Amino acid sequence: MSALVLAAQSDTVRLTAQTRIIAAVLAIAFMFLILEMIRRNRLQERYSVIWFVAGLGMLAGAAFPGLLQVVADAMGVRDTNVALFSLVLFFLLGLALNFSVIMSRQAAQITRLAQERALEKARQQGREEARNGSSEQPLEAEEKRFQG
Amino acid sequence: MRTLVFIPAWNEETSIGAVIADVREALPAADILVVDDGSTDATSARARECGATVATLPFNQGLGAALQTGYLYALREGYDNCAHLDADGQHPAKEVARLLEEVIEDRADLVIGSRYHASVGEAQADDYRPTLSRRIGTSVFRFFLTLATRQRFTDTTSGMRAANRRVMALFSENYSPDFAEIESLQLAVRQGLRVEEVPVRMLERVGGTSFLTPLRSAFFIFKGLVVLLVGQFRPRQAEAER
Repeated sequence: MSALVLAAQSDTVRLTAQTRIIAAVLAIAFMFLILEMIRRNRLQERYSVIWFVAGLGMLAGAAFPGLLQVVADAMGVRDTNVALFSLVLFFLLGLALNFSVIMSRQAAQITRLAQERALEKARQQGREEARNGSSEQPLEAEEKRFQG
Repeated sequence: MRTLVFIPAWNEETSIGAVIADVREALPAADILVVDDGSTDATSARARECGATVATLPFNQGLGAALQTGYLYALREGYDNCAHLDADGQHPAKEVARLLEEVIEDRADLVIGSRYHASVGEAQADDYRPTLSRRIGTSVFRFFLTLATRQRFTDTTSGMRAANRRVMALFSENYSPDFAEIESLQLAVRQGLRVEEVPVRMLERVGGTSFLTPLRSAFFIFKGLVVLLVGQFRPRQAEAER
């Protein structure tokens, strides 16, 4: 218990070589995954940039542990873990908001597309009925159009 | 003077035929468009049999998108006036004709059929009895919409309306898919359009059930208030163009 308290109070980054290697490998694997997804057309380039930058950030953090300390100091946070987690949290929050914006735009586009198709169907029905002359209703409509 | 009456319909095969016949009788000169909002039953086919033009949305988009489709059609096809009513048979077409008269006489740009309007009085009591949750929702919206628009509205969620081309142009571009009825009123008033309420008689629904359960009602009300609040901060047309 006292060890935990001491660890929490320590104000320097203590990453072991093992942790740094694992972090670097994960970051590189992550970036390869992104590249692979672009290559297979699973991910559009314009959405990949931010993920690639995130991968680079991870790699930088693993290569230079002092970097995190600098960031924590700049934020005025004593615990580098808190600095790291809050940064990542805000990054993900911003990303989620960005996705909501994209989704809203696409929902509006899909709705308009559906509406355009519906209107085209209605016009097509009007043309067909006018051509067949079988139904009286559209002819009446045509007459009204000329009178009006 | 060309008039379009459009009817948003979602799985209303039992009532759509009667509604179309009713509109044809009350408004013989009007063209009728049924906006089929992705129905999975025979709504489209029934409407076509009854001689209406049908605009079929490929999947269910919600009432707002269906109504917007109607306004868009009216605008693009060059109609002078349009009106819409519900497909479930609650709205008598001869009341719609009275709304249209207000628009044709150019006394208003947008006319709402209100079932709560004071002057409807006792005749209303026999025909239409709203549920408790609907009454609560109605009074909450009534209060806040009146506050937001500084104009008195009694029936904010009414689906019976008549409009001219100015409204068509506005609604075919800006129409909230989630909260069509209330936000559209706020929007129209903010854009300086003349919005008027006319008391109408409405009937109990013929088929189907209302979608409002108490929990849904509460959520509906909450969502509506957020939408109204946000709407107050939207730019007016004149400001947006500047």
